[in-house]
Formats: sequence, C-alpha cells, structure tokens
Amino acid sequence: MFPVRFITPQANQQVAEPELDNQVDEVPEQDLPWIVLVWNDPINLMSYVSFVFQKLFGYSKEKADLLMLDVHEKGRAVVSTGPRERAELDVFHLHEHGLWATMQKDS
Amino acid sequence: MSWRRPKGPIIANNDGTFLINLTPDERGTLSGFVDQLESLLKADLSDERLKRLYPVAYHDDAEKDAEYQGYMRDELTQSRAAAIDTVRSMLTSEESVTTAQLVAFMTVLNNLRLVLGTLLDVGEDTDEDDFEEDHPLYGQYQLYGYLGWLLEWTIAAVSGQ
Repeated sequence: MFPVRFITPQANQQVAEPELDNQVDEVPEQDLPWIVLVWNDPINLMSYVSFVFQKLFGYSKEKADLLMLDVHEKGRAVVSTGPRERAELDVFHLHEHGLWATMQKDS
Repeated sequence: MSWRRPKGPIIANNDGTFLINLTPDERGTLSGFVDQLESLLKADLSDERLKRLYPVAYHDDAEKDAEYQGYMRDELTQSRAAAIDTVRSMLTSEESVTTAQLVAFMTVLNNLRLVLGTLLDVGEDTDEDDFEEDHPLYGQYQLYGYLGWLLEWTIAAVSGQ
C-alpha cells in the first residue's frame, strides 16, 4: 500500500489563483443568452474532458474532441449556451465531473 | 520475474457490464484514498486542496457566484458523497458493475487526481523529473500517475473502446 496521505500534510500549501482571462468579460446586454465556458486545466486528462462533453451534451466524439482541443490550445471554449438557469445547470454538471467551468452573459 | 496483469484493470463483459480487475492490495489502497477524499470533502471549504473540486461559477461576478455557491455547493458535495459510496461498495465486491457504477468510479478517480494535482501544483510542463525519489511528494506523484493510468482504462471501457 502506498505510504501516502494527502489529508493531513501540506494543509498550508498555497495554490496559485486561477488565471482567468477577463478579456471575455464584455458589458452584456440584458437579453443576451448565457454562455458556459470550460477552461484549460493541466490536471484533467484530454480523453476525460472529451468523454464528459459527450456524456453531458450528447456531442459526437468528433465535436467533443474539437471542443476539448479548443480548451487545451486556446485556454477555453464555449461548450453550451442558453438561458441563465440552463447555464447554471450545465456548470453544475461540469463541476460535478471535475471540469473547470464558468458562465457569463454572451457578448 | 515480476507479476503482470493478464488483462487490463477494467474488462468489458459481453452483457454490457464490467469487471474491475484489481488486486486486493489495489482495492485496499484505493479504498483508503476514497476514505481520505470523503474526509476532505467535510473540511473547511477554504482548504486549498478543494479549489478544483469547488471552482467559481461566475468568474466575473462575485455576488452572483456567492448566490450560486449558496444553493449548489451542498448539492455538489452530496453528489460526490453518493459517488464515493458507490465506489466503496464496488471495491469490496468482486461482482460485475454497471456503466453507471463505472462512471461513478471514473469521477471519483478524477476527484482524487484533482486533489493530488492541486497538492503537487501540477502544470502543463510538470513531469516525473520534478518528483524524483528523494522528493517529499514522490509517493503522491507516483499515486497521481497510477490514478491517471487507471482513469484512462476506465474512460476507454465506458466509451466502448
């Protein structure tokens, strides 16, 4: 068995704040839909991210792979759009699967 | 001669179920880490290791995010606890598992990697040279690699590859 614990040690370790790019934060119009963004994360496996996109949104493997590569190469990708409640639900499910997702009004 | 696993760690049966092909030692080790994850989920949410398990939802609006976290965070914790319960029962049984159970296994493995990756401060350029045998987090990095290997097999099995 691994002599490894991650609960007790390192509790005071500082982790860098996410470097989110606020350039996508344009002034929104009231009637614009919301967009859900997934941000690049060096921990999540690429195959895992693609699988989650297929599972949650019903995307084909080809579309999910392209979105995943967008996330990886461009730092983020829009994975869904819609009303606020729908976007919040999508963000919740993405968080549930461990992906780094946020939402904002479309610009 | 070293022991070799005759098949992969996740085997697809002909009836749509899956066999978890792990040794008793692996099952025991994973159960221990699942217990640790469960304890960590009860920790103060300011704990740095939870950052990637509870990310912000509104990155440009702290007020909306606080509102969102107020009604979604508990639900997220409950969902994770349910997945942990599923995985714990899988690891103590030799019976075949369903796709839904395997997906729960996958998300718990990923949660463990997120915690470990945060602890290890994994970045795009992190590799094994950063965690040689004399590094204090060498064991954690080895575990991180093992979980990644197991996760890849699980994803392939769930995806029907």
